Amino acid sequence: MSSAEAAIVARDISKSYGRTRAVDGLDFRVERGEVFALLGPNGSGKTTTIRMILDILRPDSGSIAVLGQAAGASIARRIGYLPEERGLYRNAPVLEVMAYLGQLKGMDARAARSRSLALLERLDLDAHAGSKVRELSKGMQQKVQFAVTVLHEPELIIVDEPFSGLDPVNTQVLETLLREMRARGVAIVMSTHQMHQVEAMADRLLMISEGRQKLYGPVADIRRQFASHALLVEGGGDWSRLAGVRAVEAGDRPGEALLQLEPESSPDSVLAAIAAAGDMHIRRFELATPGLSEIFIRVVEGE
Amino acid sequence: MTGPVWQVFRFELRRNLRRRTWQLAAIAVPLLALLVLEGAQGLNPDGALPGVNLPGITAPGPGSSGNGQRGLVDETGLFPGADDLQLFADEAAASLALERGDISSWYHIPGDYPESGVVYQLMPSLNLSEMSRGAIRRHILTSLADELDSSLLARLERPLRLTVLREKELGPTRGPGPGGARDELALLVIYPFVMALMFSLFMTSGYLLQGVIEEKETRVIEILLSTLRPGQLFAGKVLAYGTLGLMQLLFWLAGILLVLQRLPLQGALAALAQFVLPEGALPLMLVYFVLAYLLFASAYGILGALSASMREGPQFAVIFTLPAVIPLWVSTAFIEAPGSPLVLALSLFPLTAPLAMLQRVLISAVPAWQIALSILLLLLCSAVLMWLAGRLFRVQTLLSGRMPRLGELPGLLRG
Repeated sequence: MSSAEAAIVARDISKSYGRTRAVDGLDFRVERGEVFALLGPNGSGKTTTIRMILDILRPDSGSIAVLGQAAGASIARRIGYLPEERGLYRNAPVLEVMAYLGQLKGMDARAARSRSLALLERLDLDAHAGSKVRELSKGMQQKVQFAVTVLHEPELIIVDEPFSGLDPVNTQVLETLLREMRARGVAIVMSTHQMHQVEAMADRLLMISEGRQKLYGPVADIRRQFASHALLVEGGGDWSRLAGVRAVEAGDRPGEALLQLEPESSPDSVLAAIAAAGDMHIRRFELATPGLSEIFIRVVEGE
Repeated sequence: MTGPVWQVFRFELRRNLRRRTWQLAAIAVPLLALLVLEGAQGLNPDGALPGVNLPGITAPGPGSSGNGQRGLVDETGLFPGADDLQLFADEAAASLALERGDISSWYHIPGDYPESGVVYQLMPSLNLSEMSRGAIRRHILTSLADELDSSLLARLERPLRLTVLREKELGPTRGPGPGGARDELALLVIYPFVMALMFSLFMTSGYLLQGVIEEKETRVIEILLSTLRPGQLFAGKVLAYGTLGLMQLLFWLAGILLVLQRLPLQGALAALAQFVLPEGALPLMLVYFVLAYLLFASAYGILGALSASMREGPQFAVIFTLPAVIPLWVSTAFIEAPGSPLVLALSLFPLTAPLAMLQRVLISAVPAWQIALSILLLLLCSAVLMWLAGRLFRVQTLLSGRMPRLGELPGLLRG
């Protein structure tokens, strides 16, 4: 896929504030139609990276092309942005605020209002279109902000902690909306600390720490990369007598066992040994790969 | 006006037109004043407003407070009674007359008056319309200078009225006002105009400051900056709030002019109705409003960009507002010595020029070069502040959660 077709192509971008290097030589690309997770501990440079993508800040060195255009070009109207620290005009009616922000994104007044109403209905907020923002609950305000982000049907969406403060029902509503947009070819950059959301939604990720790139690639590949030489199994039988199994530990869930393998054995040979044993059965058999939370901690603490 | 600037302008204008405080200040206040005056007129069988005796102003027609008669107790023996000042032998007699309602108040000239100059006025309760310095002052002057002819007495009473003229002018551009209280009348006339300008200016700039800080506090600024350039946002705001201020000023001016011209006024206010607004004063007022607004809007825009909270901004705004109202504190200087260096300095210094020059053009002739220089300096100062606002109303300051330290400002200005 060429640079022109990618949603974001960042090449060796760096940004400093005074003597503090916030971002240090990041290289990544985000394709259209994928959910791309931007991960990192607090103060790792995620927000600075997002602001450079949005052209709010310019990198000191390196380059960013967004939706095929270099920084400085007028692409703001093709991007939707949900910042982590959220807020709207508290004393203005919801519909008016949405229409205003939609118009700033290039929509005409009528389209901005009708699309706002449609989104409010989808988010079960249509009864609050005329309410002032301050009259809504925190969760409702967050949904309005999400609606503002996608109002103008952007080609690239950048969402920072999109699900924080939302109940499971509303989280699912937003997830569904994001999945629909991904299916339509919209690129979604998601910055979050909720690793289970990344595992559930993200196709690829970039993990940064102290401004530097630590991990980058498909989520599944990265999890495999951190997999230990072990298997997670559920079933019946004495796992310890299997050839190639060095040790057996209890898993996190009831009935689950973690089989540590000998260096020379492989999952295939263990599976063959189970089949040959005759008196053993398996309900689950998988490589023991750590969750993203564990990988996150290992990467950050390993520095 | 380009797209985003227009959108910001329209949104801010509509949002603030619905603001209750703005509606109250711009429309309800002048409307209320008119209604009160109309109501008072309705209560008066003569169809005229009740007279108001203001300090130092000789109202045309009969006295307006009490029965018009005041008492006098003189312990020096220097002063006789007069038509409107009934002489009493002692304080007890004057008090009795006051209790009976024969007089509305009485003056007490103590025995040490020649040394101290102190005179007391006594009344049943404090009554603004009863407080008068004019009658007793004239009586004392007349009595002390019994031998002087009336013209000398007049000069003693009012030693000079300085009118500044261009060298080739043959005489004052405006003649004296009605009655002998032109100075006090002038003060009465200029105050509403100056107040209208001042309030429109400060309220509008204050709203702008609040608007900028609100966007920072609520973090809407981050969404806006992902779409707009800071300059576009600032331009839209300045235009919107300027329009609001201009509307407010026009409402107030219309209210003042309606009161002065339409309603039948009596007493001191009747003299006001005869006051003719100098030609060109209104356009000049609008020019000063626009320039001063640009200056204050830029200054407040800078403060808004630098301030982290709604508490900080207004505290620093005092730096600009306090000097701006100095001309009001020294209003008498504009009447008694309109050509003094103080008045000239206040008329030229950009922060004080709007209120100072407005007072001057309303009460005396001002050389054209002074007006031109004052406008030029105001324009230059506004331009410098707008440039500074352009340098500081930027991403770094708008997205920062704290007020920059003084030492960081040069770096921010460099960009």
